[in-house]
Amino acid sequence: MSNNNLLQVKELKKSFGGIQAVNVSNLAFEEHILTSIIGPNGAGKTTFFDLISRFQSQDDGEIYFEGKNISNSQPYKIARLGMVRTFQLTKVFERMNVLENLMFAGSSVRNDSFISSIIKLPSQKEYEEELKTKAFEVMKLLTLEDMAQSYARELSGGQKKLLELGRAIVKSPKVLLLDEPLAGVNPKLSEQILEIINNLISEGKTVLMVEHNIEAVMRVSERVIVMAEGEIIADGPPNEIRTNEKVIEAYLGSDDE
Amino acid sequence: MKLSSRVVITVLVTTASLASVYILNPESATRLIFSLLTFAGIYGLSAIGLNVHFGWTGLLNFGHAAFMGMGAYTTLLLVPHAAGREGEITTSGLPIFIAAIIGILCASLLGLLLGLPALRLRGDYLAIVTIAAAEIFRLLVRDLEGITGGVYGIISYSDSLQKYRPQIVDSLLSDLNISVTQTWVGILAWISIGIVLLLLRRLNRSPWGRALRAVREDEDAVRALGKNAVWLKLQSFMLGAGIGGLSGILLAFNYGSLQVTTFVPILTFYIWAIMILGGVGSLTGPIFGAIVFWVIISETDKIAGLIFENANGQQLAGVRFALVGLLIMLLMIYRPSGLLGKKEELLLDVK
Repeated sequence: MSNNNLLQVKELKKSFGGIQAVNVSNLAFEEHILTSIIGPNGAGKTTFFDLISRFQSQDDGEIYFEGKNISNSQPYKIARLGMVRTFQLTKVFERMNVLENLMFAGSSVRNDSFISSIIKLPSQKEYEEELKTKAFEVMKLLTLEDMAQSYARELSGGQKKLLELGRAIVKSPKVLLLDEPLAGVNPKLSEQILEIINNLISEGKTVLMVEHNIEAVMRVSERVIVMAEGEIIADGPPNEIRTNEKVIEAYLGSDDE
Repeated sequence: MKLSSRVVITVLVTTASLASVYILNPESATRLIFSLLTFAGIYGLSAIGLNVHFGWTGLLNFGHAAFMGMGAYTTLLLVPHAAGREGEITTSGLPIFIAAIIGILCASLLGLLLGLPALRLRGDYLAIVTIAAAEIFRLLVRDLEGITGGVYGIISYSDSLQKYRPQIVDSLLSDLNISVTQTWVGILAWISIGIVLLLLRRLNRSPWGRALRAVREDEDAVRALGKNAVWLKLQSFMLGAGIGGLSGILLAFNYGSLQVTTFVPILTFYIWAIMILGGVGSLTGPIFGAIVFWVIISETDKIAGLIFENANGQQLAGVRFALVGLLIMLLMIYRPSGLLGKKEELLLDVK
């Protein structure tokens, strides 16, 4: 592996009351590809996401993003560096409309500041207009444009997943961490989300995804990492993973299941 | 513009409550209404500040009385006054308007100091910490008698504001048998409301206001999108505290003498009741909430007196609290979004 490691973890450990949730010795993620993390429930996938986005603190170990040590960074600082995550249990801003959800996500720290919101220079208005245009582009991509003025709480579960994905896209990060983007989403919408993810990859983004939809994972991922009991038990291209004995035993089950 | 039912109901309820004052007190109604509107202006302003905390940002602040007290005490100690048992009058002092600005800033500063540790806590824990902090503030003010006058309070400060009372106030009210000093404070309270609401309307529609609402909805999502949620909460806390400070100053001038018992926790709960009554998250709701609330506070004695003919004052006060409690319960069940709150943005979902 060369220098194109965007994200790297070393000796990352986390346990809850003696139960080891994550224990990953050395793992690096390459740029511009879709990497999926799979594994049985309680394997530590979401905890792993929480650790690398720093929503939880690790017991031990280091995390590097673009060579920068972010082991002790605040979550919002990591997002500003260009790594944005979504959540397993969708977190949309329920009592704000879809447009506001997206505009807030895209808005810069400077645009959000108290001072510029009091002064309201014409440049802020222009910026907001651009933001609105961008938000509508994303809504179109997500087929949510008819919902612009709807409160996010009025959306269906699948649409909320789309909105959360859209919020991450508006921010145009380098890396997206998607925690179960297809959970509870109907097949048609799933295809749509997968297509959006594919487009992101071809635009040069890097995507990490935790997902249980094995068929989809195997079809779209370039690399699959399998976790069980906090440890990585397999790591490789999909067709290799599919036939890996350990993976079949721990997670996939045999064909006649 | 289409009048929504919320607006119609609000206007009707407010008018009806003011009319009830006339019906229940045919002789002294005008004087009562002026006094009531002054209190409503001051408490309404305070509730507007609290609304920035809770309605906009979702912060459970149960220590609003401390911010009001900080504004009041700082300002009064900076203008000519007499504090404590000896009550020696200090003749030197800052002009009231400069003192008031310092008072507001100090209230904001208290918000910052309290917020720095407390805003790292979530929901209910913040409520516990703020209520405790407000009590610590009150007890400190009570015990630091050398500075604050302690239990003896502060007097002889009213003139610093009343000397700016325009002649026209006196001449307009000369026939009405109404307190001109109180009315002047009332006028200033309603002017303050106007200015604060203009400022808040500007902020509410701005990216900053949007960011606060996002914090209210989900802090984790805000962080995940690269925004510093704690800093946003701190800013909201300081702004609301400053508005609370201003209302505290006005409250002190309305009373004419300041007692530390003014800032007991019940004051905070009154402000909460007003905010809920007016509509959490609504910009102008607290004003109407305050008017209706003060009509209820001042008129329930009379209604209670009609029901319980031989009751004494203390018993009537008990009935009053029971009625206010009943009203809030009914409100929570049948109209939890308050007078002007939007149903879609309901924050207090009790069901």
